[in-house]
Amino acid sequence: MVNKRDLSYFLLALPAIVYVGYFAFYPAFKVIILSFWDPATSSFSLVNYKSLSYFNPGGAAINTIIISLGALFVQLLIALGVASILANEFRGKRAFSVITTYSLGIATVVSAIAFSLIFQPVGGYANTLLHLLGSKGIDWYSNYYLKVFVVDIADSWKNTPMMILILLSGMMSIPQEIYYAAAIDGANMLNRFIHITLPNLLPFIAIALIIRGVSEFNIFALPLILIGFHPPLLTTLVYELYSTGASVYLSYAAATILIGFISIFILLNILIGRRR
Amino acid sequence: MNTRQILIYIGVIIFSIYFLFPLYILILVAFNSPKYTIFSLYPSLLLQAPTLSNLIIGLTQYNFVEPFLRSLGTATLVGVLSIALGIPAGLGLSRLSYKIAYPITLLLLITNMMPSISIAVPIAAEFIRAHLFNTIPGLALAQTLITLPLATFILEGTFSAIPLEIEYQARLDGASVFQALWRILIPMAAPGIVAAFLISWMFSWDEFTFAVILMPITPTLPVEIYYNITRGDMLAAVAFSLIFTIPVVVITLLLQKYLRGEYLAGGIKR
Repeated sequence: MVNKRDLSYFLLALPAIVYVGYFAFYPAFKVIILSFWDPATSSFSLVNYKSLSYFNPGGAAINTIIISLGALFVQLLIALGVASILANEFRGKRAFSVITTYSLGIATVVSAIAFSLIFQPVGGYANTLLHLLGSKGIDWYSNYYLKVFVVDIADSWKNTPMMILILLSGMMSIPQEIYYAAAIDGANMLNRFIHITLPNLLPFIAIALIIRGVSEFNIFALPLILIGFHPPLLTTLVYELYSTGASVYLSYAAATILIGFISIFILLNILIGRRR
Repeated sequence: MNTRQILIYIGVIIFSIYFLFPLYILILVAFNSPKYTIFSLYPSLLLQAPTLSNLIIGLTQYNFVEPFLRSLGTATLVGVLSIALGIPAGLGLSRLSYKIAYPITLLLLITNMMPSISIAVPIAAEFIRAHLFNTIPGLALAQTLITLPLATFILEGTFSAIPLEIEYQARLDGASVFQALWRILIPMAAPGIVAAFLISWMFSWDEFTFAVILMPITPTLPVEIYYNITRGDMLAAVAFSLIFTIPVVVITLLLQKYLRGEYLAGGIKR
């Protein structure tokens, strides 16, 4: 039974519920329905998806997965390194924690500019570094893998701090006694990391990967600025179809595929949330 | 120094370079003569010819003030909308029983994960009909989707920290839920409200996806910067970016305490 007290608190939350219902869930629902609507015959069909297949949505999905996995891998590696350092006490720790988290607040477009200055096809600061090491400059956009690499590095710069914060809060939750005991038993630093830190950190790594994974799938401004529409990602494909005015129904179909992938993350998140 | 300390400092140096290098490059390009930066085959890593002309040309010859003001207006409106919806929702969630609060939390979490671009496209169609397309209120209404879940979770945490007894006392004295909220709880939750406002402000300030789709003709700063890049006006884009970043740095420093993993992750603790 809902009592009067609960009802008045529910009424307080109601405006927010109505708002997200109207501005998030209704449009999402509309996109999914309209993606199956054929405007030529005014009936439901798969015609939009058939036309979309000429734009290689499968390839866009695979590119999105590859870029996301790459970015998550780079972020996890750096975050593990930085968080293991920040879990210690040392001089300059405060400064180091600011240095490793400030990029969180830098706008995506700004980070895209910084990295497009670093990775220019000709010139650019990455090539300066290569030059200093005695090698010739390379065109960072000459092949698929280099493009993926550039986007993943740029993305990690901005987004690793979030993973650092999550992993660090995980490391702080591991009781120090376990480390002392292991040290007495003669375990070295690497052994302690592999046998104590990693297993205790796994739930936090899982949460961080899911939360970041959702955002990686939605990555948009960064690839748009750095690599444009090629290779296409699901997001840039939606935008390309929408902005070139090919057919808004095709962009609905691509948007629906993106929602489908994100739904998997949402389900994972709910399941993990339930377990906690 | 023992091996452990040496390893720590090697790590500190490597990671510091990684995180500072892009910012350094941005500042270098802004204040160095373009001859040594974007027009050079192997641009120098040092400040060769300090100049302010990049910034002056960027900010005076290009359309900077109007996009700046539009960003300011949109972000402020998003901040207001987020706390206007987030205060009651946060209080409600902090007091409701788990059975009712959980689905609402879930709704907000799902909103948080919804791909902006997928819902921006149908919203654009709707906004054209409602005359909200390419307007600041329209963009603010859409961007609040990104900030409301976060603002609500922050405020829920703030209200949870206020003892129920205080609210009960006010109720005993004859105040309704709404009066208790207005007169007693809101003043007590002021720090959390300020944090929720500033974080919402900052997310809107940076927001790109809704901005490029819902306000493409007279855009906000991030989109204007994107247009500059696509036109090849790299120096103007760099000048804009620096000014654009200043408010964010200030707010980030103000909010150190609130920029914790669990908030940013959208209520990871629950």
